[in-house]
Amino acid sequence: MKTTTNTSDAAPVRRSGTYFGLGTYLGLAGALLAMIVLFSLLSSHFLSYATFSTLANQIPDLMVLAVGMTFVLIIGGIDLSVGSVLALAASAVSVAILGWGWGVLPAALLGMAVAALAGTVTGSITVAWRIPSFIVSLGVLEMARGLAYQFTDSRTAYIGDAFAWFSNPIAFGISPAFIIALLVIVLAQLVLTRTVFGRYLIGIGTNEEAVRLAGIDPRPYKILVFALMGVLAGLAALFQISRLEAADPNAGSGMELQVIAAVVIGGTSLMGGRGSVISTFFGVLIISVLAAGLAQIGASEPTKRIITGAVIVIAVVLDTYRSRRANRRN
Amino acid sequence: MKLPFSGRPLALAVLSSLIFSLPVAHAEEAPKVALVMKSLANEFFRTMEDGAKDYQKTHASEFQLVANGIKNETDTGEQIRIVEQMVNSGAKALVIAPADSKALVSAVKKAMDKGVIVINIDNRLDPETLKSKGISVPFVGPDNRKGARMVGDYLAQQKLKAGDQVGIIEGVPTTTNAQQRTAGFKDAMEAAQMKIVSVQSGNWEIDKGNAVAASMLNEYPDLKALLAGNDSMALGAVSAVRAAGKTGQVQVVGYDNIKAIEPMLKDGRVLATLDQAASEQAVFGIQAALKMLKGEQPGVDADNVIQTPVKLITK
Repeated sequence: MKTTTNTSDAAPVRRSGTYFGLGTYLGLAGALLAMIVLFSLLSSHFLSYATFSTLANQIPDLMVLAVGMTFVLIIGGIDLSVGSVLALAASAVSVAILGWGWGVLPAALLGMAVAALAGTVTGSITVAWRIPSFIVSLGVLEMARGLAYQFTDSRTAYIGDAFAWFSNPIAFGISPAFIIALLVIVLAQLVLTRTVFGRYLIGIGTNEEAVRLAGIDPRPYKILVFALMGVLAGLAALFQISRLEAADPNAGSGMELQVIAAVVIGGTSLMGGRGSVISTFFGVLIISVLAAGLAQIGASEPTKRIITGAVIVIAVVLDTYRSRRANRRN
Repeated sequence: MKLPFSGRPLALAVLSSLIFSLPVAHAEEAPKVALVMKSLANEFFRTMEDGAKDYQKTHASEFQLVANGIKNETDTGEQIRIVEQMVNSGAKALVIAPADSKALVSAVKKAMDKGVIVINIDNRLDPETLKSKGISVPFVGPDNRKGARMVGDYLAQQKLKAGDQVGIIEGVPTTTNAQQRTAGFKDAMEAAQMKIVSVQSGNWEIDKGNAVAASMLNEYPDLKALLAGNDSMALGAVSAVRAAGKTGQVQVVGYDNIKAIEPMLKDGRVLATLDQAASEQAVFGIQAALKMLKGEQPGVDADNVIQTPVKLITK
């Protein structure tokens, strides 16, 4: 698998002519294609429209979380709390609807607001005390999960089909949730590559001190990125509720690792300063096709874990070659 | 040792609380029973704990209750620490739902060596490992294999015919409960000559259950039923069936009878589940422990098991 996002496609100066070009994504697309071919050979029904529409309707939550995480990694942070924040938002929605008799829309907004607040807390504490976001978000992970249990009394709540329209296919087996998630991806890529805000984020991740010396205060931008991560976790929670018709206080446990894996497979650097939302989307597809394919061929639990882990490691190793090449070029 | 300014009042507080807590613990007459659960995040254990607390309130003169749970169902290390703490804090009896059927055995043995009475609930400690340590711990609980067999039998009788394809969504495969339930489902399906095309783990969770169910439905278009090891995964399977446009064509059964499954049972999206008196499991365990504390026999069978009732729930 050859990952080919390069520094220049996100950097302000156009260098290699692959600015928005498809060439950048050939490596990832090739890996994805290879995986699909392999599973099609191993399973009798993998290569079917049903498989891919099922997949498309299952991944919107992962897609939007990965977009948020791409931004967080680009500024050199990390957010481990996303799975718990998702559960917290879902719990808030379930309590608002079932406990307080709220309508769907206000409940959804409450869920998003709660998640945004959680993200803002992570961001503000990280910035205010200059603590690594790794440890702050670890704390928020615990708090959000605890609050989710508290709200729901640790019980799974059956919400029903109030949100079902979100995940019911409207055309070609595709749900509104998937379309919204795609829009989020396109929008985020544009923000990252075509706006001043996007440039600042890459600048902060590459060299925060330089950004400061240039007269720009990086702190509000960093908080904003974490708040955005929260909003997207809230959106992911709505996607999950609509798909599962239930809010589970255990939802999203361990999901942060899946999200980070998808983003890193897409070639976003854990050190900050480099990343692409489109590549992240490929990372999400690779991780999800792998999971669905392994389940469809009936792989055992240990096999699934070993193979998924190996794919992550291989992707990251290949990525180091790519970034070394990029460094030489610069 | 010189403590920083803020450390001094803290140290004082810790010391004084120790001094005050010691005599109190000895002054009480009612024996202390420690209930050590798996994840209190799981509503199954939550209900158990609530049941135990209610029971303690009505029997306050007989015993004191200290309930503890671990954060993550698979965190055996934390549970071992809790067991040690409970023993050190002077618990006379320990009622435990082990996070792992083997890893907890040595902690249990240490407790028993100190004269603590141990009753095993929910997830049975591995009899072989217990034997190798030379101890025997009474197990109070439902027969998961029998329960799953009841659910499977009902499914086969009501909705399936010989040769139909079915899939099993298993819990965390390393747990005895998951293994027993899968075995019970298999017993029932094989007896009715169904074809089990896939057994995969949904890790007891809705979302993972949903993903696995969706994959099975895609791979086996003729699938007639999904047997889930718990109700959360059954909920996930129901959504997968709906997404595949196969509501009514693919039957779903669960296990545990959680509250969220009620509406599904009513409209038939879930055919059946099993109630194994979750809220009373801990109480059954405590009752056995109290009997043993008084020196009575708890009434175990030849296998050192006290079986608790299981009940098939349909609609």
